[in-house]
Amino acid sequence: MNILRKSTVSAIALTMALTVGAGIADAKDKVKVAFIGPLTGGVSAIGVGGRNSAELAVQLRNADPDAKYEYELVAMDSECKPNVGVQVATKVAADRSIIGLVGHYCSAVAMGAVDIYHKFNLPMSVWGAVLPDVTYGNDYKEIHRVNGTMINQNDVAAKFMAEQGYKTWVIIHDTTDYGKGHNKYFSEYLTQNGGEILADFGVPADQQDFTAELTKAKQLNPDVIYFGGLVPLGVRVRSQMEKLGISAQFQGVSGIKSDAFIEGVGTELSEGVVSFLEGAPVDKLPGGQYFTEKYKAAGFAEDEEAYGPFAFAAMSLILDGIEEVGPNRKKLTKYLGDIQGHDSIVGKISFDDHGQNTVAAITKYVVQDGKWVVWEDSEYATGARKLAGK
Amino acid sequence: MTQSLKDKLVIILLAAVIAAFSITFIAIEEQVEIFALLVFAAALVLGGAKLGITASIAQSLARNERLMNFAFIAATIAVVFWFREDHFPLLMIATVLLYVIACCGLNIQFGFTGVVNFAGAAFFGVGCYTAAVLGDTSVPLLLVILLGGIIAAIVGSVLIIPVLRTRGHYAAVVTIAFGLLFRTFLEVNDTLGGPQGLGVSGMNLFGWDFNNNIEISENLEISFYMNYVVLALIMVVLTFVLMRRIERSWIGLNFDAVRLDETAAACFGINIKRWKIVAFTLGNFLAGTAGALYAMMLGFIAPSNFAFSDSLILVSIVLLGGMGSLWGTILAAGLVVLLPEKLQVIQEYRFLIYAVVMILILLFRPQGILPRGLRAYIPGWRG
Repeated sequence: MNILRKSTVSAIALTMALTVGAGIADAKDKVKVAFIGPLTGGVSAIGVGGRNSAELAVQLRNADPDAKYEYELVAMDSECKPNVGVQVATKVAADRSIIGLVGHYCSAVAMGAVDIYHKFNLPMSVWGAVLPDVTYGNDYKEIHRVNGTMINQNDVAAKFMAEQGYKTWVIIHDTTDYGKGHNKYFSEYLTQNGGEILADFGVPADQQDFTAELTKAKQLNPDVIYFGGLVPLGVRVRSQMEKLGISAQFQGVSGIKSDAFIEGVGTELSEGVVSFLEGAPVDKLPGGQYFTEKYKAAGFAEDEEAYGPFAFAAMSLILDGIEEVGPNRKKLTKYLGDIQGHDSIVGKISFDDHGQNTVAAITKYVVQDGKWVVWEDSEYATGARKLAGK
Repeated sequence: MTQSLKDKLVIILLAAVIAAFSITFIAIEEQVEIFALLVFAAALVLGGAKLGITASIAQSLARNERLMNFAFIAATIAVVFWFREDHFPLLMIATVLLYVIACCGLNIQFGFTGVVNFAGAAFFGVGCYTAAVLGDTSVPLLLVILLGGIIAAIVGSVLIIPVLRTRGHYAAVVTIAFGLLFRTFLEVNDTLGGPQGLGVSGMNLFGWDFNNNIEISENLEISFYMNYVVLALIMVVLTFVLMRRIERSWIGLNFDAVRLDETAAACFGINIKRWKIVAFTLGNFLAGTAGALYAMMLGFIAPSNFAFSDSLILVSIVLLGGMGSLWGTILAAGLVVLLPEKLQVIQEYRFLIYAVVMILILLFRPQGILPRGLRAYIPGWRG
């Protein structure tokens, strides 16, 4: 940025070079990369986990003696609000020293920001937002996404639940694009699989009291309550279901696959809750063990959370690109556009013509004794425990 | 040196110092430097107040209001010119300017007249959505800004009866309810983009596209945000003139009388209802115009931008600057918009620091940073 006078900057640089002397001469060039996510507010746990994971990717690269550049991570807080997101997106995109970006967990923020990245030619990869339109709603070649969309997730979810023998559903979803999208795709796939939706309720993402919706749901007596939304709302719905004595199975989406959900509702109420997430669990990922070890070794205070591995993979991909084509936005965009079968800790990454990773595995989770456990490894799959109503 | 020459020098020096301070504040990124700068500024102001320098500067300013106004406009232009090629600082400056306009609207409402409004962001949002909906039609976009204000005023008229019939906490609750209602309405309304939001086309004046960089020569390409800054600055100047005229006229006197003592004002034949309606409508109009340009500048709006917390931000700007104080509003808008952004480096802790700073200011200076002075009937009159 040409903010401070260039002459001052170069004078300082010159002085530094003179004092430090030859030692600095063989230092690597510095390259900046950025991360954007919700670091404050209701979904900050996931944002901070993503930030740490991206930071880890940068640290590991800097520790690698073969790396051609020294990387610096610029992390920004979008607060999960589109107007703040547009601000930080402009800040990052307008800063020419930043070459690549890993950004966005909140779909509405991503939708507002993609135009800016296109305008400033900043190559980026989404690490958490699952709204299909982020990649499919435009033709911008700068925009990529390493994680899957909610389309794949609900396809698997609907098939799985139908296989368990459930017949009737009541859907509660938040009225953001996230909740609405889940409602749309889940309803679509569920109907194909022969399930019946008795009612669906759209609620604002900050609603506190669900007595009205849940009382109605209780009368309908569904086999399953499907919840499409994020952790804070999910905690309220699950707790209030209990108060009203609804014993239906609680089915969530990727937005509640967080330890914060279990902490919020408690071990007892979270038991048997199912959720679906793009990608395999960390320990089942090709590079999962490596990632977990490194993450622990780096000593971050917070967990990596559900989307940490994606943030790590996206950042590693961007760093791979910079290593290969140099710190140049246009070249990096072209590099990302040609990615096919690229190795990463979340499996092979292949982008389609919209920059969407086409290899998106979905994993089923169930809460068992206060922990998210992969369905196949759980006592529920072996029959030792049963889901609600079975 | 004569007194008047000295006054003029003081004012020009002050404007230069403010411009230099703003440039440094916007340009620096290191949190240590930011804190150092803030502490330095606070020490300067406190020290000046102890030595009586601020008081004498204030007198110089009061004697030469016209010069002061022009000096500050010049200072703003200098700051804007400094950042001519930098997109992000210009975006932030334009955001500050538009918040100033919206907060001037709130100032008319509760700074002057005492009508509380905790739905400022909703009226700002009406302006935004007007711009989003009308932006694609053939309506001239300059007119869209005006229409943004007019529609905000019309939407606000729904609230006139409850606002007139309630007072104090009750009026506050009515406006809070309206703010929540507005957001929920947007979230369930699919024609207005629903929760996902709407794209807004940029400003275009007589074929001049505001969203393209201005190429002067090969090595000077001025950021496209400059267009918005200039337009917002013009709007701020117009708003400022309007506010000053209202404040000094008999309208402003009536507003003050209504705020200070409704019963006494009514006894003197002042029509309380009329002035409350005028203040409420005019305030919403200003918030709407600011919102319309803001939406065009951002290019994308969503209901979560107009939550209750955003209304509180507008209210806190007015309180922080000093109720009814125009310069205070400008200063506070700068602080409230820029400070959280400046604290990005400390990430998840920034709102903590920001909140502590706000509480400290309100604790030690509850009347606001630059409280509104006593009414001067004749500008510069030494009474």
